[in-house]
Amino acid sequence: MPDKKYVTIFLEGRRIRVPEGYTVIEALWDTGHDIKRGVGCLSGLCGACAVAYLEPGGKRVKFGLGCQTIVKEKMDITVMPFFPSRMAKYDISNMEKPIDKLLEIYPELNMCKSCGFCSVACPEWINVSKVMSYLKDGRYEEATEMMFDCILCGLCASRCPRGIAPQIISLFVQRAIEKDRPVPENLRNRLKEIEDLKDEEIWGNILKMDEKSLKDFCEKVRKESD
Amino acid sequence: MYSKELLEQIFIVENTRESRFNRKIPSLSGEKKNFLLETFHPDFKASAFRTLRVGVNRGDGTVHEIADLLEAFSIFDYRDIDFEIPEAETDVLVLGGGGAGITAALFAESAGAKVVLATKLRLGNSNTIMALGGMQASVGEEDSPVKHFTDTVVAGQFKGKKELVKVMVSDGPQIVKWLMDLGVNFDRDEKGNLLTKMAGGSSVARILSIGDYTGLNIVKILKDEIRNRENIDIFEFSPVVELTTSEFGECNGAVIFDLERKQFFLIKAKAVILATGGSGRLHIQGFQTSNNFGATGDAIVLAYRAGAKLEGLDSFQYHPTGIVYPDHMVGVLVTEAIRSLGAHLVNSKGKRFINELETRDVVSAAMIKECEEGRGIVAPSGRVGVWLDTPVITEKRGKGFLREKFPALYRMFRRIKIDIENQPLLVYPTLHYQNGGILIDEKGETTVKNLFVAGEAAGGIHGRNRLMGNSLLDIFVFGRRAGLSAARRKFNEPGKQTLNHVDKYYKELKNLRITTVAKTPRIFQEFIVVK
Repeated sequence: MPDKKYVTIFLEGRRIRVPEGYTVIEALWDTGHDIKRGVGCLSGLCGACAVAYLEPGGKRVKFGLGCQTIVKEKMDITVMPFFPSRMAKYDISNMEKPIDKLLEIYPELNMCKSCGFCSVACPEWINVSKVMSYLKDGRYEEATEMMFDCILCGLCASRCPRGIAPQIISLFVQRAIEKDRPVPENLRNRLKEIEDLKDEEIWGNILKMDEKSLKDFCEKVRKESD
Repeated sequence: MYSKELLEQIFIVENTRESRFNRKIPSLSGEKKNFLLETFHPDFKASAFRTLRVGVNRGDGTVHEIADLLEAFSIFDYRDIDFEIPEAETDVLVLGGGGAGITAALFAESAGAKVVLATKLRLGNSNTIMALGGMQASVGEEDSPVKHFTDTVVAGQFKGKKELVKVMVSDGPQIVKWLMDLGVNFDRDEKGNLLTKMAGGSSVARILSIGDYTGLNIVKILKDEIRNRENIDIFEFSPVVELTTSEFGECNGAVIFDLERKQFFLIKAKAVILATGGSGRLHIQGFQTSNNFGATGDAIVLAYRAGAKLEGLDSFQYHPTGIVYPDHMVGVLVTEAIRSLGAHLVNSKGKRFINELETRDVVSAAMIKECEEGRGIVAPSGRVGVWLDTPVITEKRGKGFLREKFPALYRMFRRIKIDIENQPLLVYPTLHYQNGGILIDEKGETTVKNLFVAGEAAGGIHGRNRLMGNSLLDIFVFGRRAGLSAARRKFNEPGKQTLNHVDKYYKELKNLRITTVAKTPRIFQEFIVVK
């Protein structure tokens, strides 16, 4: 093994030394920091480990996920596990056409001036600012599709000079437009079949089968599908 | 970016790609499959197992990591807790804030119960969000719940409980409807039908998805919904450390640990739902894991001390394609959908060695065989793996296909300058799922009265191997069932909360002269950075 190389980083202003190649989370653990908030899936999916950092010589603060960001020499880092975002109260199951209520529920949407600060912060590389303009223009499908990858880390909300939470607003839209779509035919047919107890007799037989006859039965059914 | 040595190895993959292109590898016969499993699957490695000496399952075999978990004392001293005055009283106490826990809480609340949900991490931080590929539910025209049943029991080597599998597959379409009513937007085809995709071990295309971020998008919506419910109280960063029982041995609440204030508190409930997930972070047999930071098998030890029977804890799922390189992504999964679309598994000689659409246990065993017999590829860290040749898909479907269909995966590797459209990925079987768990019935109830279990912690459904997409279904099906059944107990008289079951369990340990420094539940695994 070659000698381990080390880098010096600043964690919330405090200097620590960690081996090269560690992620921010690994660096924290390696130096004995007992962090529970700010850790989750360790695969860049849960959005719990948002971090902000300044690189040496860098002019502006950058953002990322602690489990995916590799530390570099003289990096200045802070962990941002939480940022308050306004969540409206609504009962979407009992709403007639929820998408029409968007501006009633989240009037702050119209305060967005497309400054683009949110897009710069997104660790998932979503153009959040564009999503917001789509939402304002009523292009809900396109906006929703762009937000599929959102992991609710809240970094966009933390950057918004107007205190808007794009990740929360788009979540309402995602739900609302689905409510507008018709029930898929294949699902409706299957539910009808189940309601009519179509397979009831087969189920009765299956539950009575011993292992041998169950094996034969399974083989037969699975062959039919080939 | 790949190291120089690995780039040389990739050269072999590129050179053999064309010759592999049209060769079909037939499915293995039953006999050959069994031989492969018995020789190379970790579930058959006798030295990794031992027999349990205490509790309901005394005499059953399980892996050392689980046995260590069960044959241990609690880390905490509960003498400070005032058992007369609980911090909160509720109808239903849900432990765990992943897909199963949130679903259970939602249904219990809908049925008129007051609910408290306590979870170790942030609400929603769970393995559910990492279920990228999709969810099985028999909605296709060619499909039926019976077909889904047969695929599930065959994959589980006929060890799953028929009654539980039946319930899971029959509730499937209804669960899909429920999710859609909450606004979950599953992918659809041109006709507006639900889009179904193929999975390994399935006879019909049955996987429903939302891009390659299925679990995440469902959890986001469930989280939005649960925050809108009046009668659900949520405690984050509050893992459960012990269950409480009444003088009759029925479950009636739990001891919770507040991670932020380092304090215990007691919650009294008429019924308890354990949904704290699996045990991947125990790194069973030293395997890398795809699991969330909090998946330390807490549910099984708590339920076991309370007297619940466990089922099938000698069987774990190793997902074939967990990342081996680079180091900080070790254990991150590449969805099975990639193999469904035709990506090859390739050894260091540039050869395929297994039909990629066999069930997960068989593919994993075949990969371990390649690596143990010296046909693996060694990463700079010393870890060994085989190639998952994703550019095959690019050749078949054209440039931009992977980028469009798997944006999450594409971006994840793009960050570290690996382009999955043009470069293969180094993968190795990764500890993914606890096939067994706490035995439940169709209501989701355990052998301890008023103790329900849902999600990965539950056992008896998947037998010895789980189909892709069945866990995402099972958490909602059994979450719903547990939630509804638990809510019906709201007129129970819970009685006094005690830890009598723990005392009894300790006595048993001491009588057997079991002394150990291991303390459980683990809550968090002491993390060791291996590089």
